[in-house]
Amino acid sequence: MSIEPIGAIGSGFAPVAPISGLETAGAASGTGGPDFGALISGGLEHVQALQTRSDNLAVEAATGRLQDVHDYMIAANEAGLAVQLTVALRNRAVEAFNEIMRLQA
Amino acid sequence: MSGIFGALGIAGTGLTVYRKWLDAASDNIANINNLTSTSKDAFQARYIIAQAVDYGRGTEGVQVGGAVFSGKAQGKLVYEPDNPLADEDGNVRYPDINLGDQMGNLIMAQRGYQSNLAVVDRARDAYQSAIQLGRA
Repeated sequence: MSIEPIGAIGSGFAPVAPISGLETAGAASGTGGPDFGALISGGLEHVQALQTRSDNLAVEAATGRLQDVHDYMIAANEAGLAVQLTVALRNRAVEAFNEIMRLQA
Repeated sequence: MSGIFGALGIAGTGLTVYRKWLDAASDNIANINNLTSTSKDAFQARYIIAQAVDYGRGTEGVQVGGAVFSGKAQGKLVYEPDNPLADEDGNVRYPDINLGDQMGNLIMAQRGYQSNLAVVDRARDAYQSAIQLGRA
């Protein structure tokens, strides 16, 4: 009895096609949006401006030139909130970074 | 004005307007007994005009657009012949201000100021909660 040799795989299978569009997707995710450092430093500048305003109003309050008490209180509140926001953003970023660094363990 | 914490600044403009209204009411009450001789005008009550900053669209806070004087310049003629300021008929002028009206204005201005303070408080609480969102 004779064993039939295994024939060549027919043309019924299509060759594996390369996935298209990967390169462009990778490029887009790399450069999309402003980077985090710029965001944080922009936020810090905003905080700095609010703090300066609050400080100026505090000096006015101390020297008796302040017209409206609430102006100072609102400026101080605003500056405090801005600091909280920036610190929260920074903490989240560090948290995320540490999470990524723990991946190898 | 409308930055990242816009509600705080807008409530601040409201506080300023109500502070000025309080000032106006207190001025009117302080001068309510200013009597003058009939040759001069009587003190006239002062009122502020509050209007939206972006007048017409009604956004972004409120401001004082100006002041108006109300009441007659001739005031109320009162017969007080013993008064050193009285004219030959024995009359002096008192301002045409009603103390009851002024006390009502005072209460409205005070309540408005308090409402804007409440807005500041609530806005700050809300912003703080938003910043702490998702914190463990």
